[in-house]
Amino acid sequence: MKEIEAIIQPFKLDDVKQALLVRGVDGMTISEVRGHGRQKGHTETYCGQEYTVDLLPKVKVELTVPDQPLEEILKTLSAAARTGKIGDGKSFVFDVAQAIGIRNGDRGDAAL
Amino acid sequence: MVTQHYSAAAERIRETFFSDGRAGAVLVSRTQLVDGIVRSLWPPPDGVAVFAVGGYGRGELFPFSDIDLLILVASEAARESIREPIAPFLRSLWDEGLRVSQSVHTVAECHELDRNNVELAISLLDRRFLMGDPAVAARLNPRNRAELIQALIGLTRERHAKFQNTIHHLEPHLKDAPGGIRDLHVVRWLVQLTARDAELATVDFETLFQFRCYLHYLTGRDHNILTFELQDQIAELQGRSAAQVMRDYFRQAGSIARNCGQLLRINEAPTSGLFAQFRDRRSRVSNADFTVSREQIFFRVPHQAQHDPELIVRLFVFIARHGLALAPGTERRLAESVVVFNRMLWPVLHEICALPHAGQALRAMHETGVLRSIFPELREIDSLVIRDFYHRYTVDEHTMVAIEGLLKLRDSEQVPFAELAKELPDIAVLIMALIFHDVGKADENESHVISSARIADAALERIGMPQRERQAACELIRLHLEMSTIMNSRDLTEPATAQYLAEKVRTVEQLKYLTLLTWSDISAVNPAAMTQWRAGLLWQLYTVTYRELTRELEAQRIKTSFSDLPHRRRFLDGLPTRYLRTHSEAEVDLHARMQTKSREEGIAVALQYSGSIYTLTILMPDRPALLADVAGALSSFGLNILKAEVFSNRHLTAVNTFVFADPLRTLELNPEERERLQAVVRQAAMREVDVSHLLRGRLRRPAGKRRLTPQVSVDNQVSENATLLQITSEDRPGLLYELAAAIARQECNIEVVLIDTEALKAIDVFYVTHKRLKLADEYAFRLASVLKEVCQY
Repeated sequence: MKEIEAIIQPFKLDDVKQALLVRGVDGMTISEVRGHGRQKGHTETYCGQEYTVDLLPKVKVELTVPDQPLEEILKTLSAAARTGKIGDGKSFVFDVAQAIGIRNGDRGDAAL
Repeated sequence: MVTQHYSAAAERIRETFFSDGRAGAVLVSRTQLVDGIVRSLWPPPDGVAVFAVGGYGRGELFPFSDIDLLILVASEAARESIREPIAPFLRSLWDEGLRVSQSVHTVAECHELDRNNVELAISLLDRRFLMGDPAVAARLNPRNRAELIQALIGLTRERHAKFQNTIHHLEPHLKDAPGGIRDLHVVRWLVQLTARDAELATVDFETLFQFRCYLHYLTGRDHNILTFELQDQIAELQGRSAAQVMRDYFRQAGSIARNCGQLLRINEAPTSGLFAQFRDRRSRVSNADFTVSREQIFFRVPHQAQHDPELIVRLFVFIARHGLALAPGTERRLAESVVVFNRMLWPVLHEICALPHAGQALRAMHETGVLRSIFPELREIDSLVIRDFYHRYTVDEHTMVAIEGLLKLRDSEQVPFAELAKELPDIAVLIMALIFHDVGKADENESHVISSARIADAALERIGMPQRERQAACELIRLHLEMSTIMNSRDLTEPATAQYLAEKVRTVEQLKYLTLLTWSDISAVNPAAMTQWRAGLLWQLYTVTYRELTRELEAQRIKTSFSDLPHRRRFLDGLPTRYLRTHSEAEVDLHARMQTKSREEGIAVALQYSGSIYTLTILMPDRPALLADVAGALSSFGLNILKAEVFSNRHLTAVNTFVFADPLRTLELNPEERERLQAVVRQAAMREVDVSHLLRGRLRRPAGKRRLTPQVSVDNQVSENATLLQITSEDRPGLLYELAAAIARQECNIEVVLIDTEALKAIDVFYVTHKRLKLADEYAFRLASVLKEVCQY
């Protein structure tokens, strides 16, 4: 099993959710996060005053998937989240040691 | 034997309740039933008295409430003597299925206020002698009132804070939430402790008691949270909707919370002598209508409130100005008053919105029902519950929280939205939009965005809100979900997003209103809804749209179609598209007619007054320094220019608009001065008079040290056809005239000037051309240094 952690543009969340659902992924955790990568943030001027916008609003999507369709899921996710511009985000993949369903005690892929 | 008796009797009480719904009868019957059982089980020995305390002591025994007993002993010896016999007594009560909560204390312990056990002293307030030694019972007489009052107030404030100090929870706790049954007890205790009941409004609490009985019976335990599921069950039992059930709850909780709040305020000890001094000084604001005492407002002639709507209106202006609370008696008189309000209330509502304590005044108008008397449309959302797990409050409370949030924002440090709030031309427009933004939610058959705007339009016309402001407010209501939808679903860096919103809002002014409406609306959903994350998105959307609205002022020109009327076509031909974004249909029409007149007479001047600001419009063939001369003429009357714009069409007719305030009320108090102003403006525009002459003696410098160093920035990128010069400087009379005259002397033409004034700071943005083209960089920087000198001069 792998865990995918993807940081994406907030307005792409619906597209990503929809695309993953079509691929059969129906469980995920969403958080509203702020941060910056290479995009770095920027300085804005408004009415003669400067505001530093160093942390940009993003959405973090976390999902755990079986090893098998991992590549397809990553492709689907990237395709749905891409605009082609700086700030589109990143995906990170981690190994997961175990998954346990709290209600029924299912383990491994069955718990996903 | 006893057991059968208890369970059969308890069941009979339950059955009666489910047939007649009378909670009072349940409490009395259950108290009597339990009294009989307790008395039959144990005759206490000499030196021991048994009291019922807590709810049981009050004779208000709910179906699954604890049976609170105080076993009072004369001495430590008596305490020892009952250790043995008390155990079987308590066990028998438990065997009955009664949850007993007992405590054994000596008389001395009860007379002492233990900081760690204030609850004991409070529970004694409801004591009721049940049985035992009357001599011991008679010795119980705690006398620690003053200290107990403050302890009780402290506990109540702590409890309220746990519930965010509001009654308007969608799933309220019937006992502990503000406005709940515990608050009713606090009211009674404070009245008992202070013997101050004359001022207290009568509180109806039957509904709350009834709901609590239902909760206990339906769940079979001491459960006090009115969950959605239980709301539905009660509604079904009563044959009405859950919304009606909750409306009853909130009305009653509101009345209890108000009473409780007043008593807490009255009895709260001043924290310092300084505070008391300040409080006494505040009583000096008393006037012919109202007396102020201990921070509370009283009517001088109380019965006058029954039939004098003017007095009631003045009362809220008074609150908005001084930030004082209503005395309980004053509130009661307002609640009883049935006056009908004058239809033309806009001027006074406008005044209230502009005063420093507007939020407090509007809250008081809402809580006393006066706001609903003025706008009966609001009755539809009174205590209305819309179930979702995102909203914390009822619709009316959400509306009030949004308004209060906006008004607090102005004085807060919340960069950058606080700055934006200070830039609003008229906060009353936004407050009216907020009052009505969700009013259509009561009708589930139609989108509330549309119905709210329709309802608002009729209501605001009725109170005499001027058309321009009213249209702005209604348009805001129609758009009030746009920004939150866009920021979650559209790419904010995509130019199309900004263009889309710019087309919807059309003007910078409306964009500012809508941004703050969205901010207030989201912030009032629940205390944690406006996260930094959302604020970041909203601000980003605001800035991209602001840039879209102010960019390329010259690039796009209106192409007229033959479907337009001829005079309109001739006028609109070649005006920048931005002109249409900044003017209503009525204004376009007025300007088109003025152009016809200016062709005959050389110039057309119009002066309009709305609310607190004036708009002066001049149409005439464009000429150098025209803007400077008119600005100078206005300054010579002591008028404060807030905004100025120039647009020219293909026929080189210039539309000059000046929005200004009249701080000394010269024009308001002397109507003939309006005529003279127009005549002087006409002469200045036609060069029949020397403006520098008019201004002699007016161009004074601000006294004292200059606090702001002037800054001039040049931007040759933002506009395709003009150079942008942004000037930040300390404001002073005639500043615009001097800047514009300097620009004209450099043979430059002002295409647009946007003026913003924040207290003493003027922020002027000029879009300047030279021979209809952008300025070369070198030329632009020379002009910038000239302008900087003007500011410093």
